[in-house]
Amino acid sequence: MGKRMNSEALGKFYNGGRTKVRREWRGLADTWFDYKCWVKTWGMLFKFLFNLQNLKGFLRYRWMLNYIATPDFLDRCNEGLRGKQLRLSHMEFGFIVKELMRSLTFMFKADQNIGGSKALSDKMVIMDENMMEEIMFGFPNLYFMCPQVAGVFALCAVSQNSQIRYIDKAEEFGITGDVCAMPKSELGLCIEDDTLDIGKCMLHCNTTCDTSLMGNGIEDWRYRKPSFAIAASEHIEDELVLEYAVDEIKAAIRFVEEQTGEKWDWDAYFRNMRVLNEQTRIFLEILEINKTPYPQVPENVINLYRDIYYTRMLNADGESYLEIDRKIREIMYEGYKNKELVCTEIRHRALIWGVQGEFYTAFPNWLLNCWGIVGITHMLSLTSTKIYADTDTPENREQAMYDLADLYVNMIMRNRSEGGFRLGVDDVWRFCEEFKMDMIVMCEQIACKALTGWHGIYEEEAAKRGIHVVWVPHALLDPRKASRQNMRDQVNRYMRTVLGEKPLDPSLEYIEDDNAW
Amino acid sequence: MKDLKHLNYFENLLQDSGNELVDKARAAGSICIGTTCYQIPEVLLNLTGCFAVRMRAPRTGSMEMGTYYMTSLNCEFARALLERCLEGGYGFLDCIIEPFACSQMTSTMENIEKLHLCDKDKPDFFVQHVDTPIKADENAVRHLTRMCRARILEKLHETFGTDVSDAALRDAVMRYNEICDVINEIGSYRKLDDPTITGYEFAVLCLATYCAPWELVIEKLRETARELKTRKPDAKKQFRIKAVLAGSEIDDPDFVKLIEDAGVRVVADRHCFGSFPGRMPIELNDADDVLEQICRHYVMQCQCPRYMDNDRIAERKAYLDRLAHEYDADGIILQQMNFCNFWPYERAGASQILSQEYGWPVLSIDRPYAAGSSGQIRTRIQAFVESVEIKRLQGGKS
Repeated sequence: MGKRMNSEALGKFYNGGRTKVRREWRGLADTWFDYKCWVKTWGMLFKFLFNLQNLKGFLRYRWMLNYIATPDFLDRCNEGLRGKQLRLSHMEFGFIVKELMRSLTFMFKADQNIGGSKALSDKMVIMDENMMEEIMFGFPNLYFMCPQVAGVFALCAVSQNSQIRYIDKAEEFGITGDVCAMPKSELGLCIEDDTLDIGKCMLHCNTTCDTSLMGNGIEDWRYRKPSFAIAASEHIEDELVLEYAVDEIKAAIRFVEEQTGEKWDWDAYFRNMRVLNEQTRIFLEILEINKTPYPQVPENVINLYRDIYYTRMLNADGESYLEIDRKIREIMYEGYKNKELVCTEIRHRALIWGVQGEFYTAFPNWLLNCWGIVGITHMLSLTSTKIYADTDTPENREQAMYDLADLYVNMIMRNRSEGGFRLGVDDVWRFCEEFKMDMIVMCEQIACKALTGWHGIYEEEAAKRGIHVVWVPHALLDPRKASRQNMRDQVNRYMRTVLGEKPLDPSLEYIEDDNAW
Repeated sequence: MKDLKHLNYFENLLQDSGNELVDKARAAGSICIGTTCYQIPEVLLNLTGCFAVRMRAPRTGSMEMGTYYMTSLNCEFARALLERCLEGGYGFLDCIIEPFACSQMTSTMENIEKLHLCDKDKPDFFVQHVDTPIKADENAVRHLTRMCRARILEKLHETFGTDVSDAALRDAVMRYNEICDVINEIGSYRKLDDPTITGYEFAVLCLATYCAPWELVIEKLRETARELKTRKPDAKKQFRIKAVLAGSEIDDPDFVKLIEDAGVRVVADRHCFGSFPGRMPIELNDADDVLEQICRHYVMQCQCPRYMDNDRIAERKAYLDRLAHEYDADGIILQQMNFCNFWPYERAGASQILSQEYGWPVLSIDRPYAAGSSGQIRTRIQAFVESVEIKRLQGGKS
């Protein structure tokens, strides 16, 4: 119990219930800071509920109740952290929560299920979860919203069992148990009529993988709103696929214009693109620092935030992200200058590859606290690291379509797991070398058929290079198939039996959190 | 019914990944191209001096090596193919051209390539991934045309000196249409009230056209078509209901036999190795680009569930409805292989829509790759037959 990391056994806070036994003592300054953030989060939640339309939404949608676990979610993600790491983590996760509440409030205002404004709803375009929403940059008077983020993606991070009902509903409908839980959960939400009725029209895409493109058809059958599917090829290694995506982006823009009566605005597009580029530059600086012996922004603090900002899935104003990014950069350089370590002892520098279990977003934090394994970078964080044309010239207007197409074909997850061998396998060894990583924590989503197809090759190539590969199976949104403890057990076994190491915090090896939020 | 003269010959051809006709064609200097999917235009792989073989893994037993490389979480078809290649079963291929369509099959091909499973003593061997579209529209036609020109025709020409001129393309289409005509003539006997060809027999004949050079099977197929003109049905019907069989790939005629042994006559086959849409003739005009016309045919005819535009999603259900009416079916069997990414959604959606909106009795099943002797599936089909018969007794076809 004190201001140093690992100064107390964190496992003793778990007693098998929903919440932990008590809050963590982190020394006076950090405990006070953490407490203030905790109170602020509750404040945000109460403020959210003191809005009539939000209250109606809260009572209309079964999944909303799970948001009561938000402060616990933040506690999980900040567990064990001290000093700058604690501040960075609060800044990023706190921003996600704030934007999520803002986004929900905005969507409830327009939700026809609870008597929202039809005029506002007609200004909204619905997009798929995980879709790169940069296409909205050129439509400043429209709101590109994704209700699935609030009901599925973000919610599962907050409360691990929140999707079980919807997964079961999709399976009752006839979807097999062996496909990815994410589109299944989205479909279940739709079957249960538990999703918001907003939007003039819908934009789909073959987002992250083969399965994700399949749920849309059935969802359209239920909603019967005008929709357009953007085809963005997954074979990213082949330069010819970009032309196809360009044609599709142009057709999607025409569709939105026809449906909404709005016109594409080049000024707005390039203005927003400048913000995205600025964010990308900051992230590239973060990556550079993470290559040094003193990484400052590890995956346990940045992963979820980064997913959300480059996909723009919360429809947040880019400037507000940028403000956070600049603060992150400032703290990062300060920590780097002082040669601060992100944990008591960096035993292993790890690449986290594959898609992480959404029901256990605090897993990288556990790796750090329990075993001193620092997630230096992550497959999903490495999406969108290019700088795109951001000044309005005739050439750049044509280039802009290629840039958007590039963002789409290089969309989250699929750009590594589905894009082909070079991107999914060869690049792993390149990253390990560049970032001086000696370990790969391979998050094996058991219903994802992409990375598992290279399982044997990963094993053989890693062995040749002397890199440790720890396979961590999970079912993305479904903790019944592989629980949080199952995930931890894989790491525990590897660390003890293969590497013969002892944990930094042995109390965390086995914790009773199956019933926790 | 009297046995078809050449049925046993065709059955024997399908007992292994390769066959004597493949060996014969290769010995004569033809290039053997492995492929896995309808979405690679088959005619482009059957230009003069080349022929396509649709890859499959008949009589698959253990898949342990395939499972080591791809885990037990992947499609059995994908694993079985890898296993067969690891065993040396595809040593006769000169190259593989596969669609970048299904991530699992792509992984299989990448494993074959990286583990050098088929390229022993073949310096020209290559595995070519060809991105294929996911919608049925003009953007998709342009994309497939671009891909086929650059990644198939130019590659074949550069590597093997294949003639890829318009005349060569037209010749391949003509030979393809000949095969389609004979298969469709044979298939038309399934429209009879008491069909004079079983679904199993048709599956064997149709599958043979995917797995052997066309010119070496066409004569026997023509003879079979002539034989069918005078073939008489059995005195008593050997089936209780007629059904359309649809879904993911079926490369094992024994699976069709299993269905028919349970009282169903399979009268139409809408799956990846079937005649719908795989044996639909290509119509060419003299005005437009030949390659683009070929690609348009494949894009517009494709029934793969990965085509995600709403019109096409709806059209797939209408297509099955049309087939079921045309072939006077009593119901539709929708099947998929376990661990497939696409078909669980298509099957679930189609089974709801075909029964709720079109009024068809639908059996919806998932199955392992080798399902020819599955007792569980036999039981489900028997139950389906009974349910259709009960509905019939209750006064309505459906």
